[in-house]
Amino acid sequence: MIPKHLFSTRTISKDFVEQIFSLASKIEANPDQFADKCKGKILASLFFEPSTRTRLSFESAMLRLGGQILGFTDAKVSSTVKGESIADTLRMINHYSDIAVIRHYIEGVGEIAKKFASIPVISGGTGSQEHPTQALLDLYSIKKEFKGIDNLSIGVMGDLLYGRTIPSLLFALAKYDNIDLHLIAPPALKLRKNVALRLKENGFKFNTEENLKDIIPDLDVLYMTRIQKERFPDPVDYERLKGVYQISTEDIKNVKDRFIILHPLPRVDEIDYAIDKTKHSRYFEQAHNGVWIRMALILKYLGLD
Amino acid sequence: MSESNDKLIVTKIKDGTVIDRIPPGKALKILEILGIDSNYPYTVALAIRVPSRKMKLKDVVKIRGKALTSQDTQKLSFIAPTATVNIIVDYKVQEKQYLKIPEHVEDFVDCVNPNCVSNAHEPIVSSFDVVSKDPLILRCVYCDRLLDKKYLNRKL
Repeated sequence: MIPKHLFSTRTISKDFVEQIFSLASKIEANPDQFADKCKGKILASLFFEPSTRTRLSFESAMLRLGGQILGFTDAKVSSTVKGESIADTLRMINHYSDIAVIRHYIEGVGEIAKKFASIPVISGGTGSQEHPTQALLDLYSIKKEFKGIDNLSIGVMGDLLYGRTIPSLLFALAKYDNIDLHLIAPPALKLRKNVALRLKENGFKFNTEENLKDIIPDLDVLYMTRIQKERFPDPVDYERLKGVYQISTEDIKNVKDRFIILHPLPRVDEIDYAIDKTKHSRYFEQAHNGVWIRMALILKYLGLD
Repeated sequence: MSESNDKLIVTKIKDGTVIDRIPPGKALKILEILGIDSNYPYTVALAIRVPSRKMKLKDVVKIRGKALTSQDTQKLSFIAPTATVNIIVDYKVQEKQYLKIPEHVEDFVDCVNPNCVSNAHEPIVSSFDVVSKDPLILRCVYCDRLLDKKYLNRKL
């Protein structure tokens, strides 16, 4: 069953995730076949927080499907500066567009969408809470590489506390079998308790580490994240923790032949530029996959697949 | 107020609420969450750490002219899950309620997360699922964050 809106990877089924992957794969193989699928449809692109890849790939996805877009990229140009609520913004958008993508620093917007949006609303990132479409393109990238997701050894490293891609990625991985998951973070940036509890309720086991060195030879995938400067309540903490996990070509000397590095981007200094040229880097291909996944999501949520 | 043979003797109230079997030392907190202070116009009797057969020690509160709302009893259940609420009409116990921690609460306490939509200016009320009763842990329906006993003790 398709949920009305998409704000979490926790509340969607594995079957739905696989349907999205299958559709994305068809679109990727033959994009021209889908060029007019959304003719006459409008995507509202509501970005209350800065975005490069998510917004551009959603807008590109809608344009490639023959649809149109409206929206804003800066909350300062919307009526929120006049104190308008998210609920009222969504009530209005119901009549202006057929589907919407919303990015907001406020968490829990999904429940507001449930109550006030009559059109499908997809999260483009919600505070530190979740970033479900990123997780779907992350898993799609893994699946393309390894022809499946089960039985892989995956390391997730960096800012597990504030990174919104992390909960979505873990909730999505939890749907697959026999994942050997390692979470690598300093104690100050470890996984939020509520996310750990959700995983525990789901019976999804993981190992926590502080050091990448010992486990990197066993990994198939290393998922890196940026330390989320903008979400630190105290800038002093950010200065202390930035650069705590950086990898260079030296760190990937003893990895498996098929080992890959993913990153939701933007990166700051956590992956040395020299790694870009190695056979292990996949983060740019990963970003390209965002368009196929978002095209598939738009089609699915509009019932045009 | 006097005590004899483990029995508490306090003036009976004509109409109101008697909250019995309160964990010892929690009576003042209960008055606070019920919004009863020195301006309350009717009789309030308070007994702290009196002998109890079932609990060894307990607190008791009698409040004349007060009927508890369902939200009041929800809050009581979190602070004093052992307590009983007796509704008194014309000196008699008309109804006795045993408190039970609910599975879900609304408009009860603010979410711990300052970025939660329930703390923003939106047409909704805060909403939580109870994920654990002992230790008490609530989970925000909106942002999924957990409210632990330490936070709740400070806020309730």
